[in-house]
Amino acid sequence: MDVLLSGQLLFAALITGALYALIALGLNLVYGTMRLLNVAHGDLVMIGAYVAFWGLTLFGLSPVVGLVLAAAAGALLGWLTYLGLFRRLLASPQLMRRLEGNSLLLFFGISVILQNLASLAFTASARGYQFMDQVYRFGDVALTGNRIFVLVVAVAICAAVYLLLRFHVFGLAIKALIERRDAALIVGVDIDRVQLAAICLGFAIAAIAGVLVSTTEQISPFMGFPFTISAFVVIILGGLGNISAGLVAGLLLGVLEVYGVALTSAAYRSVLIYGVFIAILLVRPQGLLGRGSVVR
Amino acid sequence: MNRRHLIAGAVLAAASFGLGGGAAWAADPVRIGFSIAKTGLFADAAPSQLNAYELWREQVNAAGGLDVAGTKRPVEFVQYDDQSNPGQAVRIYEKLITDDKVDLILAPWGTPHHFALAPVLEKYKFPMVGNSAASAQLRDIKPGYIWFPTSAIPDKIAPELVAMMKANKVTSVAILSSVLPFSKEIKTFLLPALKKEGIEVKVNEEYPPTTKDMTAMLTAVKKAKPDATIALSYPSDSVLFAKQAKEIGIESQFDFVLVGPTMDFYQKVVGASANNIVTVGHWSPYRADWTKAKPFYDAYVKKFNEIPDHLDSALAYISCEILQQAVAKAGLDKEKLREVISTTTFDTINGPVKFQGVENVATPTAFLQVQGDKIELVWPASIATAAYRPKTSW
Repeated sequence: MDVLLSGQLLFAALITGALYALIALGLNLVYGTMRLLNVAHGDLVMIGAYVAFWGLTLFGLSPVVGLVLAAAAGALLGWLTYLGLFRRLLASPQLMRRLEGNSLLLFFGISVILQNLASLAFTASARGYQFMDQVYRFGDVALTGNRIFVLVVAVAICAAVYLLLRFHVFGLAIKALIERRDAALIVGVDIDRVQLAAICLGFAIAAIAGVLVSTTEQISPFMGFPFTISAFVVIILGGLGNISAGLVAGLLLGVLEVYGVALTSAAYRSVLIYGVFIAILLVRPQGLLGRGSVVR
Repeated sequence: MNRRHLIAGAVLAAASFGLGGGAAWAADPVRIGFSIAKTGLFADAAPSQLNAYELWREQVNAAGGLDVAGTKRPVEFVQYDDQSNPGQAVRIYEKLITDDKVDLILAPWGTPHHFALAPVLEKYKFPMVGNSAASAQLRDIKPGYIWFPTSAIPDKIAPELVAMMKANKVTSVAILSSVLPFSKEIKTFLLPALKKEGIEVKVNEEYPPTTKDMTAMLTAVKKAKPDATIALSYPSDSVLFAKQAKEIGIESQFDFVLVGPTMDFYQKVVGASANNIVTVGHWSPYRADWTKAKPFYDAYVKKFNEIPDHLDSALAYISCEILQQAVAKAGLDKEKLREVISTTTFDTINGPVKFQGVENVATPTAFLQVQGDKIELVWPASIATAAYRPKTSW
């Protein structure tokens, strides 16, 4: 029981949850605004991780600088994807109707391409580096520097995006698009620009998450898929397209994983996560905090 | 055509004949086929094996070619991606044998792939020296056309590990085990072996490979204060284990990590935490009487700018050496090759290798320890390259 009350466990839950929330945030922005099911989301995390790795290895750039570079790389990829693939599809109401399903296939293709390009360019071997590896002790709680870094950056970015959506006019436009696409168009929201911004922001956040991941574990071209899965679990738990609920659901998943394992056994990790996931789909298909109207 | 064109043409022609070796080949190339996991689940593990193959081919070609019963012929690879899928590997090897009509084959990556191929090899009577496969079940495979040079087999690893712990005065252990097959199989043999020697199991936890946090498990280990912590882990969780063991402050002085510490990236990611971790493996470049060991290590580091995986890269290279020495004696006739591989003692980077049935009986089951920037053999004494050191810090 005393294990459950330890700050060590709380810290672990917060880090795991904050990272889940951050990764899911990018996915939710892209789904919410355009109804695109981005199954290549985890591969953007992978790209961010490689940007940090090569930045450090080739140019001696700190992963802190890597955050900015990865965000730029993610945004650039989002821009290319939007202009090259989705702008035309989103502009036509007929194509738009089938886009949700089609985007799944398109992004699956993008995922395969990204993985194999990375494998060709960087080889499939796992790689990694050390960053802020010293352990700080606060009473009974021990914290590794890079895990504190992950927590601080993930919380800061989630908070910044939350505030943007709540108070900035551009954020409000994104929110309007998520909630009532047609109404947003009628009141004069520049849908094309907002969509472009949302996909760039979503991809950039995924790449930033990749930099954070690379500071704590090894990276490889095929590392992305588990992140895609957990991001989908989080946004479905929270309610598809519901940004703030996604943030709460990410944290909840972290708590569920860490405390669930402490209460039962590590062997039940997946059973716990997917058990709760399926239970929520059955009981509240609109998501844990979702309102019926948000999900179309 | 002027003189400059003529010279350029001659240079091009010379270059195209001299691929890899610098000498013009008189003989037809020996075509060696294999499939490898370039995509999918095992893709990040397979380069350790493919790199060893490529290094071997380069070295053989540079030395004038593969000696085929007295005639030197260049080596050419025919390779396909099996997408980490054993079923796909079966189809590829059937194609290699019947359609591509390769002269020889090398092994794909991983235990399930080796097992899936055994009936194919039997069907076409085509010999293959395996490498990166390890399971007690390999002894159930009908001997004949497949061989396994590894000595890291679960039912041998478990009692040897217990013997090593006993020799180092371990009286209690904590076991954290992945649910993947190699880990589970070792644990099946480890628990009775520990019981037999009277070593107490204080923590016994299993976790799925998707685990991203070990705080709860490691907190339990820290509280239990075992003499030894055994992580039956795969590469990604081996990193997680070392990083979080450091954070939580695990105090056991004998720390075993199953798969990962012999790979190049491991020390780069976990740094000094890797120091004095014990792991499984039966090859080290520092064994003086294995005269080929250090040159292999040096050539690998020079070509790939990373250390060879002391388990899989070494095994892959050993399988090439065995094939090379067998072909020198028997040529390319499959039945003669089978006979030679089954009966000869081979001189490899791992010292002598000799098969009995499918199994290598010359190499003892052994353990390695990361010691600074070296990976040394520390058990058993018969092949040790350095003394075991207790782990006093992460």
